[in-house]
Amino acid sequence: MFTRKFERRIYIAVAVFLFSGALGVSFGAYILWPSRREADFQPRQPIAFSHKLHTGDLQIECLYCHSQADRSAHASVPPVSTCMNCHAEVQPKDEQGNIRPEIAKILRHWESGTPIRWQKVNDVADFVYFDHSRHIHAGVACQECHGPVERMEHMYRAFGLKMSWCLDCHKREPSEGEPAFARGDATRAPIHCSACHR
Amino acid sequence: MSQQPPKGYHSLETMQRLQRSALPTRDEDLSAPDAVTRRDVLKLMMGASTALALGTTGCARKPEREIISRATGPEYQKPGKALYYSSTYTDGPVPYGVMIKTVDGRPVKIEGNPDHPVNQGASDAAMQAWVLSLYDPDRLREPTEGTAPTTWEAADDRILAALPQASNVVLMTRANLGPSERALVKRFTEVCSGARHFVHEAVHDTPRRSAWNRLYGADGEWLPRFDLARVIVSLDSDFLATDGAALENIRLFTRGRKLDDAHHGEADISRLYVAESAMSLTGSNADERICLKPSAMGAFARALLDAVRGRSEAIAEFARVHRVDEKTLTALTKDLRENSQRSVVVAGPHLPQQVHAAVALLNDELQAPGHTLVWNPVRAALPVSDPAEVESVFERGVDVAVFLGVNPVYDWPGGGFAALLQKAALSVGHGLYRDETLAACTLALPSHHGLESWNDAVARAGVESICQPVIAPLFNSRQEAESLLAWTRALAPDSDPIRTCSDWHDYVRARWQGESTSEGEAGDRLTRRRTWQDCLRRGGRFEELTAASPPRLSHDAAQALTPSPMEAGDYELVILPDPALWDGRFAGNGWLQELPDPVSKVVWDSGAIVSPHTAEGLGLVEGDMVVVEVGGRSVELPLLMQPGAVDGVISAYLGYGRMEGGVIVEQAQGANLAPLLGRENPSHPRLALKAALRRGSGHRKLVRTQKQFSMHDRPIVLDGTLQEYRHDAGFVEHKRHLPEPVQMYDPWDYSKGYKWAIAVDLGACVGCNACVAACQAENNIPIVGRDQVDRGREMHWIRIDRYHAGDADNPTVHHQPMLCQHCDNAPCESVCPVNATSHSPEGLNEMTYNRCVGTRYCSNNCPHKVRRFNFLRYQDAQLRDPVQELVFNPQVTVRGVGVMEKCTFCVQRINEGKFKARNRDQQVADGAIQTACQQACPAQAIAFGNVNDPDSAVAKMNASKRTFFVLEELNVKPNVAYLARVRNPIPQRPGHDPSDGSRHG
Repeated sequence: MFTRKFERRIYIAVAVFLFSGALGVSFGAYILWPSRREADFQPRQPIAFSHKLHTGDLQIECLYCHSQADRSAHASVPPVSTCMNCHAEVQPKDEQGNIRPEIAKILRHWESGTPIRWQKVNDVADFVYFDHSRHIHAGVACQECHGPVERMEHMYRAFGLKMSWCLDCHKREPSEGEPAFARGDATRAPIHCSACHR
Repeated sequence: MSQQPPKGYHSLETMQRLQRSALPTRDEDLSAPDAVTRRDVLKLMMGASTALALGTTGCARKPEREIISRATGPEYQKPGKALYYSSTYTDGPVPYGVMIKTVDGRPVKIEGNPDHPVNQGASDAAMQAWVLSLYDPDRLREPTEGTAPTTWEAADDRILAALPQASNVVLMTRANLGPSERALVKRFTEVCSGARHFVHEAVHDTPRRSAWNRLYGADGEWLPRFDLARVIVSLDSDFLATDGAALENIRLFTRGRKLDDAHHGEADISRLYVAESAMSLTGSNADERICLKPSAMGAFARALLDAVRGRSEAIAEFARVHRVDEKTLTALTKDLRENSQRSVVVAGPHLPQQVHAAVALLNDELQAPGHTLVWNPVRAALPVSDPAEVESVFERGVDVAVFLGVNPVYDWPGGGFAALLQKAALSVGHGLYRDETLAACTLALPSHHGLESWNDAVARAGVESICQPVIAPLFNSRQEAESLLAWTRALAPDSDPIRTCSDWHDYVRARWQGESTSEGEAGDRLTRRRTWQDCLRRGGRFEELTAASPPRLSHDAAQALTPSPMEAGDYELVILPDPALWDGRFAGNGWLQELPDPVSKVVWDSGAIVSPHTAEGLGLVEGDMVVVEVGGRSVELPLLMQPGAVDGVISAYLGYGRMEGGVIVEQAQGANLAPLLGRENPSHPRLALKAALRRGSGHRKLVRTQKQFSMHDRPIVLDGTLQEYRHDAGFVEHKRHLPEPVQMYDPWDYSKGYKWAIAVDLGACVGCNACVAACQAENNIPIVGRDQVDRGREMHWIRIDRYHAGDADNPTVHHQPMLCQHCDNAPCESVCPVNATSHSPEGLNEMTYNRCVGTRYCSNNCPHKVRRFNFLRYQDAQLRDPVQELVFNPQVTVRGVGVMEKCTFCVQRINEGKFKARNRDQQVADGAIQTACQQACPAQAIAFGNVNDPDSAVAKMNASKRTFFVLEELNVKPNVAYLARVRNPIPQRPGHDPSDGSRHG
């Protein structure tokens, strides 16, 4: 039917097609696979902690748990002892009268003294030196970077936290009524490299 | 060389080339395989095995990361926030107060404790490098018996089984034991019958100490007040580096040379005369340097004494006999006579007793005691035991020999301690590393690092400080004192109060609490506890040293000590402690191995330092191996030619040639000088008057970080004399090369906000290297190894450039700290193709590592040559080692291969200070931000701050009339200002051109 030469060409074409297809699929998977670097990243946490319940419904201040956010570069995730400030008393039970499993997990950590290993949701690259305290003192609300945390049942990453996204804010002229406006031009957010990279 | 030195900034190299055909150097082919290979350097950086472990995580998709929330947060500790603990640095010869910076529970940086009266916030290189040895992977990690691991219980059982039956027990310790340790050692020798305590140090001041003992009838020391003295005379004393409390000496010395432009006409600074046999750091800072052999020091002191007493011909005679410039000595005599009560003479601790007797008489004649000399009755160091006595004890046979923190197998005077150790039935070594002694002992016990230890120290009368742990022990180690306490407790009778002492911490605290209350309130536990906590917070108990009744000099004793001239052979040998490694105890520390020698700039090695004439006489060039022989023992090491050394004198450093103790020790070159200590001269072991020097076999290149010591007639370092300064405070103006006002780009507008700048007072800087080590610790700077330094790849962000000028045999030396100049018109910025180096609106030349692709254009275009490139993976392995990575400063990126780096003005500290101030809606106060180099500097030569604030220290220094910039003719507009040094040589007659004046203009 076909010449041998032509037949070989078809084989090669099919092989190339299949290979590039496989390459494309893997590249697509690479692009689409949720990464901790991207928005909507929502890892499974060891305890199904609800930010919506605590900070939305119960109106607990962010700084009650993330107590270093206005003092340190790191917002800090609270030690188990902070959970126990309330959960020593607040121990809701299910129909069978057992302490609810997620609460029981905290108690187990507290009794054994073992740390909780949370999955990091909002994370910037290692060469970025972000300072929480500076942003809070400049009047940036937590939600501006972390999204509507008070409505998140399970914590997810609201923004990609890319440099261009940071600069959108840093380059913006402060409008009237903002604290930065009152301080004048010289105290605008810095956009030079060593502000974040060093 | 007798001819008049040519004027101007000729380098020694140029001069030598002119005067003697060509400079004898023999460069090795760099491509030839060296003893150190690239693999070795990599090995050096890592605990060998860990490199492979994480090699597979290189995929683009980073693994998810965790946040660990602990069950309970540690007290006071806030994530990412530094906590400072006061403590005491006890590894060196003088205890200094330190503040230890810990982040997330790990110590990362050592600073001086500003409250400590001796160092007053300053630090030295060894103190800065202290933190590196904590995380050293080569530390001994568990007790071993022979080579087999054992347990503490088994080791204790073995020792405690031997001790009660033993009739001959030797306990050998280092000299600067704290008061608690001294008390414990005393208790041990009481409960353990037949125990004798010996003190061993290879470097000590026994000749001077025993001379003072005889002369003053008391065991104390004279502390010179260099700030009050107008005339300072040093006889072979390197008081700015290795003699006494150098950090204090540097501070006082520079205080005595402070200048005020407003009153330049009446400026009065001290004049430093140094008579020495090799170019020391002190000698490099001298106003008048006199080349003199050690054997002539005694005669010199006596001639000075005679001359000061009125017999002027004595000094003329001395000058004639020893071929020294008579005019200098006459001027010195005149200075001393005119400055009674305002002058001081110091003599090196290695010189024989008779020199110290003559110097004591001279100081007495000058009325220095009580004025420029303060008597300290409480010494930090115990007297060192006589090696002959120790040897005789070992010869008779020893049942148990215990070595706490000493390494006699390496540094025993005269060598041969390994053979003596064989005579001990049970030998126990306690130390940080498996060094020569621990390797030879039956039991090798790991010690805590100083940062894991409780301890105390007495620097001098009234200065007692505490050492507290800042991290839990990393390995299965135990503090030396803890071991000794355990053995003492087990041996003590049941009724002994020491039985109730639970641990060493308890012992130290009980001692402090018991002593810190007066008898009236004894028993008030709360007060005692508070006093203890106050002491812990402050670092100790500090009182002014009262100058109460200094002892009187016994003239009879002084006369008895002033006999015959010293007989000397063809060569005299002076054995000095290494400025960085001391007696070898720091040889395992990579930062200190790669710290350039302040004078020769040699790293990882050391040689026999001789004058170029001596080398020429033997027909040798630098690097040729020579044999130094004293009393039948010889050591072979490379020749190091040092302009300024005295013909016929060999100087060499202790601290090299270590055989055991880890990869750094194995990498280092050099030879052990300890076998030559005290061979023919037990009374002054570090000075041999009859040594021999002959050609050895082979050649080994001495690797230096600076290879060119010439300024090529350019105004890189400017200086002037006091005469010039008094006449015109702006004398540098005539020597500067000011730029043409041509500007290619629009200048930066710094009028708003901050503009950061540094000013360096070269009049204060003595070139001690503290800044280099401090920068290394602060900014995660790697070490690269000898071979890489040879290729010019060292990574120090700040270096101290050293230049020679004037007389080739006795040159004037310039020290200049050189760091990134943060130029306003930075040449590096305009050539970066990826914008990785850019300019900040606050005047910083910033380097963004994650943008850098490694073209090295910037480095090529930098006129100051301050940019450093990561040619190899210098730190990758260290980053992967779970112990070693702890030393990194978390505020600074650890740079990878192919990335350019340089001084950032400690931008992490600037940002921290700025954020702190802005969070409170304040401006950054002057002095609130300190760079690492500034903080360490004992001379306070460096100022950092905002030049837009006219009241800031840096703005005031910039406004000084002595200010100049390096290579300012290029119009790069550096932000690092230098203040010209004002020297105070003997004034010349008008019309007579001073040899190093008006060299430019």
